[in-house]
Amino acid sequence: MTDPTDDTDPTTATDSSATTDSTDGSDGQPRDPTLRRPDGGTVLEDDRDADLDRGPLQQWVADSISHPERVYRAMFYVAAIFFLVTTLFPFYWLLMVALTPEGQLQDIVFTPNGFNPGAFVEVFEVIPFHIYMFNSFVIALASTIVVLVIASLAGYAFGRLEFPGRTPLMLLVLVISFFPPAAFFIPLNDLFNTSFAFLRPITGDGTLYNTPFALVTPLSAIFMPLAIFILTTFYSQIPDGLEDAARVEGTTRLGALFRVIIPLSAPGVATAGVLTFIAVYNEFFFSFLMTDGQPENWAPILDGILAYQGQYQVLYNLMAAASILGVIPVAILVVIAQEKIVSGLTAGALKE
Amino acid sequence: MARVRLENITKRYGEETAVDDISLEVEDGEFVTFVGPSGCGKSTTMETVAGLTQPTEGRVYIGDDDVTTLAPKDRGVAMVFQNIALFPHMDVYENISFGLRLRTYDDEEVRRRVEQAADIVQLEGMLDRMPAEMSGGQQQRVGIARAIVRNPDVFLMDEPLANLDAKLRVHMRTELQRLHRELDATIIYVTHDQAEAMTMSNRIAVLNDGKLQQIAPPLVCYNEPTNRFVAGFIGSPSMNFADGEVVDGGLETSNFTVDLDATRLPAVSVGDTVTLGIRPEDVHLTRYADSLAAPTDPIDARTDVLEPMGDEVFVYLLLAEDVEGSMEEDPATSPNQLLMSVTPDTEIEAGQDVDVVLDRSKIHLFDADTGDALVHGITGLEGPESGTAPTEAE
Repeated sequence: MTDPTDDTDPTTATDSSATTDSTDGSDGQPRDPTLRRPDGGTVLEDDRDADLDRGPLQQWVADSISHPERVYRAMFYVAAIFFLVTTLFPFYWLLMVALTPEGQLQDIVFTPNGFNPGAFVEVFEVIPFHIYMFNSFVIALASTIVVLVIASLAGYAFGRLEFPGRTPLMLLVLVISFFPPAAFFIPLNDLFNTSFAFLRPITGDGTLYNTPFALVTPLSAIFMPLAIFILTTFYSQIPDGLEDAARVEGTTRLGALFRVIIPLSAPGVATAGVLTFIAVYNEFFFSFLMTDGQPENWAPILDGILAYQGQYQVLYNLMAAASILGVIPVAILVVIAQEKIVSGLTAGALKE
Repeated sequence: MARVRLENITKRYGEETAVDDISLEVEDGEFVTFVGPSGCGKSTTMETVAGLTQPTEGRVYIGDDDVTTLAPKDRGVAMVFQNIALFPHMDVYENISFGLRLRTYDDEEVRRRVEQAADIVQLEGMLDRMPAEMSGGQQQRVGIARAIVRNPDVFLMDEPLANLDAKLRVHMRTELQRLHRELDATIIYVTHDQAEAMTMSNRIAVLNDGKLQQIAPPLVCYNEPTNRFVAGFIGSPSMNFADGEVVDGGLETSNFTVDLDATRLPAVSVGDTVTLGIRPEDVHLTRYADSLAAPTDPIDARTDVLEPMGDEVFVYLLLAEDVEGSMEEDPATSPNQLLMSVTPDTEIEAGQDVDVVLDRSKIHLFDADTGDALVHGITGLEGPESGTAPTEAE
């Protein structure tokens, strides 16, 4: 495997002066360096001789043992490529389906069967998809705000105050998050279809069905425990001294929470916010059932995508295009939040 | 500026009593230091003044107002913290102006006062730095600036120098004294370092186990400690203690006897056990003791270890013949050891047999059970047979 005449070979270069006299006439024969050189240079020669007896697999194993970092790097690439393919390939496939003109959806292998970028415009022409997107965005944003505000207060209480029953209460909150959402559906649906006189000025008929509240309320509640858990962990790590300092300087406890604890917990707040936003935006069950699917009745993006499925035909290419468009706001949000999370983490690292 | 009055402050955490019935008054413009070992309740006491902790019982007054139930922000106090507690997400200017920005000051006024405060603590030109870019001393100066910028009635300082290195601590000590003089402020200062307490305060409040032991000017605490705890805590190295029994005409400890006419001391009677306390600097070699007005009889001892400090030398004396210096025994409390401080030009070496005398005017006697001080200085209390009684040094 090493060529003694190749002076770029490092293994040769190190002992080239010693081996120059041993290269002639020794091809294919086991060399016995001790015969020729009784000086200390035999150890390296032994290694090289042993190499000659190994097959490619043995050689690879030996290399791996002596250089494990190569194997780790190889494993990293394998894993990374696996995850990239499993997450990105569906998007690629979605894009191919979207670009293929309607009616030619068979025979898509890795390229679209035809080229029809107009599908991304057509999406908005067939139905008012932008309204569905707007509805979803508003619902997700409202839920995120509700969750962050309430979970901040709860996180402050659980993370920074000592009170009897703290641990059982925290466990109760977490247990609720393990309930199947379907268990809430029937009673909630019944409730949201009941007319309340005091809601009449807001919703017209006094029910919450077909309003954003019908989605924001249950979805906030369902994703609240996770946010509480994340924020509790972050808020409990802010030193007491900082809160004390803020309170002596002139804030209330609440003021200290918003002026000191939350800014210092920015990564945690961003994490909880992004997770909540994505979860609500992607939610299927309540999104599907709490409105009648009409865009003017706050139907979310899900109903929009399903609206391309008519009684007589299914516009798969438009469904695919709409799905891609629907992902864009979330992708942008995550990229922005990512920066916040990273900058928040650096700020956290500078803490005393 | 205002005075602070604590009335029967008690703080209990469940079964644990952190602060036990503390009453004291800090005068307007006074610098009072709470000093005591860790866990003695000094920080908790201060937190009740700040309003960060609600006392279980008792009232807190600032000026003439009962502030016991007021929120910290409404008490007119400012606090400097041991862990400095600068807001890491704000620069120096924002940190100092935090309290002002929460109130209704216009920007011009805020800037003027921040610059003035920064000037006092010598932080000019650093207002746009982040706390993380500053050294510990600078950070603590920002903390002090944040406190003075609001012109509070009372400053509370909770071990502000504890996290600084030794040299900086001594420097900040003088800065704080200068600040106190300049601002003429009421300052309550918490520390476990008795040197800080001694050097800076008008009065020291010594706390132990949540109880106030003594509140007095530093030298009074030093010279006339009210009990054995204060005597041992104030002063470094600590006072020597030796338990002994009052006998007819003297006080007998396990290794030496001091002449004492117990009949002239109302608090002591023959047969009582008392603790004798003597500071290291009041133990003298007999041959240097000519200048002492009232020395005790010589005590035989052997030098064990010498600790030259430069300006003085600490000499560990073994009183009994057959004992070795032991790591387990604290020289201050071991009956067989005595710590003496001498000037560096004293000719003395380790392992030498020496005679020492105690300065009778500086001997303290404490009740062995309660630890309460019985008498400071026993000059003039020698018995009628003074000077003739043999010293029982063995």
